Amino acid sequence: MDPFAVLGIEETADDEAVRAAYVQALRTSPPDRDPEGFRRIREAYEALRDTESRLALRLFGPPPLANLEELLDAFPEERRYVGPGPWLNVLREPRR
Amino acid sequence: MRKHKKHHGTGKRTQPPAGLGLEAWRIRIESLIASGKSRDAVEAAKQYLKHTPGPEAEALAVKAYAARIEALQASGLHREAQAIGALVRERFPAHQSQVTVLMRQSEVAAGNFDALLAELVTADTPRQRELEAILARGLTEPAVLAESPVLPADHPLKRMARAVSDALTAVTTGPLPAGALASLSDIPRHSLLAPWKLLVRALDAFYRHDDAAVLANLSGIPADSGPARLVPVLRRLVGEDGLPAERSPAVTTLIEHASGHRTVARIQLSQLSQALAAHDERKALAAVQALLPLFRTAPTALRRTFLVSVLHHWHRQGLSPDRLLRLLPSGKHDPDMLRLLALTLERGEWDTALAMWDGYLTTATATGLLSTTGPERARVLLHMANLFPADPEAVLDTLEVDSEQQLQRRMRTGQLPACFDRVALLERARVADPVPQVYRALVAHYDQWGNPKRAEAEAEAWRRVHPQDLEPLLYLIRAAERRGAIRKALAFLAEAEALDRVHPEVRQSRFRLLLAGAERRIKEGKSALALDDLERLVHEPRASEGDHPAYLLALRWIAAQQRGDTAAAAQLEQTLTTTVANPVLRGLILEALGASLKVQLPPFPAAASTPGQVIDGLARACDLFRALDRPLTVPAAVLKRAEQSLANASAAQLHALCAGGLWMGRPALTYHAAGRGLALSDPLAYRFLLARGQALCAGRAFEVEERARACLRVGRELAGRARDMEAVREASTALDSLPDWGMFDAVLTGVLSPPTETALTQEEITQIIERERRNHTTPQFPATPTSRKRRRSKPPRRRLPRGLLEDIFSFFPFDD
Repeated sequence: MDPFAVLGIEETADDEAVRAAYVQALRTSPPDRDPEGFRRIREAYEALRDTESRLALRLFGPPPLANLEELLDAFPEERRYVGPGPWLNVLREPRR
Repeated sequence: MRKHKKHHGTGKRTQPPAGLGLEAWRIRIESLIASGKSRDAVEAAKQYLKHTPGPEAEALAVKAYAARIEALQASGLHREAQAIGALVRERFPAHQSQVTVLMRQSEVAAGNFDALLAELVTADTPRQRELEAILARGLTEPAVLAESPVLPADHPLKRMARAVSDALTAVTTGPLPAGALASLSDIPRHSLLAPWKLLVRALDAFYRHDDAAVLANLSGIPADSGPARLVPVLRRLVGEDGLPAERSPAVTTLIEHASGHRTVARIQLSQLSQALAAHDERKALAAVQALLPLFRTAPTALRRTFLVSVLHHWHRQGLSPDRLLRLLPSGKHDPDMLRLLALTLERGEWDTALAMWDGYLTTATATGLLSTTGPERARVLLHMANLFPADPEAVLDTLEVDSEQQLQRRMRTGQLPACFDRVALLERARVADPVPQVYRALVAHYDQWGNPKRAEAEAEAWRRVHPQDLEPLLYLIRAAERRGAIRKALAFLAEAEALDRVHPEVRQSRFRLLLAGAERRIKEGKSALALDDLERLVHEPRASEGDHPAYLLALRWIAAQQRGDTAAAAQLEQTLTTTVANPVLRGLILEALGASLKVQLPPFPAAASTPGQVIDGLARACDLFRALDRPLTVPAAVLKRAEQSLANASAAQLHALCAGGLWMGRPALTYHAAGRGLALSDPLAYRFLLARGQALCAGRAFEVEERARACLRVGRELAGRARDMEAVREASTALDSLPDWGMFDAVLTGVLSPPTETALTQEEITQIIERERRNHTTPQFPATPTSRKRRRSKPPRRRLPRGLLEDIFSFFPFDD
């Protein structure tokens, strides 16, 4: 979705940094073992590979998502330790 | 909110029924209790006790009171329940024990466990069971038992409650070491703390991401037990359904805190999608409002994606953006917001989008986001220039002017913003960064607006600034060729060849120019020179491509005939027949050449052809003549046979016929070939749909234009999904050329606002494809290709809301 986030680079990254991040990302998601991850990395690289592409993304991007629920991918699956309080508060609440 | 039922007219019903005995009273009161009318039951029991005092009437009254106490407890009115309980104990001391159990429940619900626990310590087993059942239902925090001063320190319940309380704290505070929950094993399955043990284990599984174990443990928690209210919440947290949409504040807080933003985002994004699909603006706004805080702290790129996606879907559903914009951060003067709005509006409202981009340029420059020169500025200006429709008439229609001169005048007088001057935008882009794209756009602009001289001048300027660029030379070659200046064209070709001799376009230009030279010599009757030219052409790399050899052989045969060299002509005739291997293609080439060169050809031996040869010959002829940019005239008989033989055509042949039909101005051929193509399961089926739409654009009837619009919209949608941007552009251009009858309908039906193009659903796409597959009826096509001038007779897109009456009257030819 966010090509900079996919490759783990800053928006100011130059061609060389983009290329290096791409090669590094491919090591973690090779196409034979993680085809979906590879596709995302490839798309991110295509979007950032040269100055012209990055300029186009900056001025005319990002493209709107076809499905709004894809935005959920931005939120990692988290299970936070919050102590017993919030759990018990649900039980303490007066019944409606 | 608690609801207090108003009691209506019970007095009449609770009057003692005259002449009835105790049995009738008992049945009546029992019936009231059973039907949940505890208040009436109490009234009836009181009346009966008043008229017939005695132990049985007292027992009946206590039973009615007990039902009333239970009803109040069920409604959460524990204080009221306790008051009634105290009254009953005072008035009916013989029945104290019956009410005391209920009183304990109210005490527990009110958070007062001491009395119950004190009784529990000394109670006999049956009484213990009753009290434990009350505790199991009312206990909402195990620490209450663990820290109770009433329970002795060594009481098993106190010990187990301590274990549960400690485990609950540990499991919700951080990762547990192995065996940390071992102390819970001492809690027996029949213990009132057993549901708590299951809850702690479910929480442990939740944090270990073992969702199956979460659900298994939750399934063992009784629905009336103290921790049961956490069951649907935990199920929701592991992605299961069942939690009501309306949630208490505590549940909302727990979900937000325990799951990060993901669960909230999932719920709200789903609600937003549903609300948009249902055109429910209120619900969609509520969902956006709930989502905004989640994205406020997100990285910039994600925040932009969120905003642009919401704006895009909002716009596609035809909802008014005003309220949405008020909700969104920053506002109309934020350059980034203007940019995102412009991007959203580009597809449907190019003029509004252009104004937004102009605003972006101003604000971005003022805030220092964009410099006053350089590639970024040039890219924005070029992008703005590219928003103009390709058809100049569409531009004039939208801007409500009759000519380019009037457009210029309105901009000069300030009636229209200067950003509608396309040339000025391109000139500014050239100043900012004179890249080839800007020159290309300038050349294309003057070509589109019918100013070839200016276009050539721009190409010349382009060549001067970028002398190593082939593109302006290729343009200049074609331009010179178009106006018959072959020598000039050859001079440009020489320059192009000096830059890149093997470039395919240079080779193609060279081949075309040499061909044009040979053709001109034949026209002039200089057959010997023509044959020399053709001899040289045979050695050109392009000469061996596709059916080019056949074309050259045909020219050589014509030149040999013209020269009277019958032996050479006979040999060439034989070679041509063998090379073409298709009598239909051979006939088409010769007929087309005879017509274009204006020479009388001797009759070529006729040969029978199969339906397959007709299709193959016509498809190849279309490809050949399109590649050479030469006119092709197809006899009506061949066209008719081809249309009848389409069942034999392959997908590649059908694509060639679709393109050829449009190129030759034969929409019926394209229409039928596209229809046949749609029946095949071809991955490029959207191209057939696009071709059918383009063919239908030439139709005359309103229904045909509506079909054309549907085909083009579906074609554009599917081409977009396949990322075939050339097809997307073709579809958009064709859609722009269609009259906007929807606007006219809107006027006639009294709807003043312009109809909004809504998104096509998958179901609609499938329906349109199916309809076109089934439709074999040939629409009425005009004999000659439709002039774009026809568009001027339709009501302009945006003029209607402003000068409504004038436009209606101008549409009808009234005579004064």
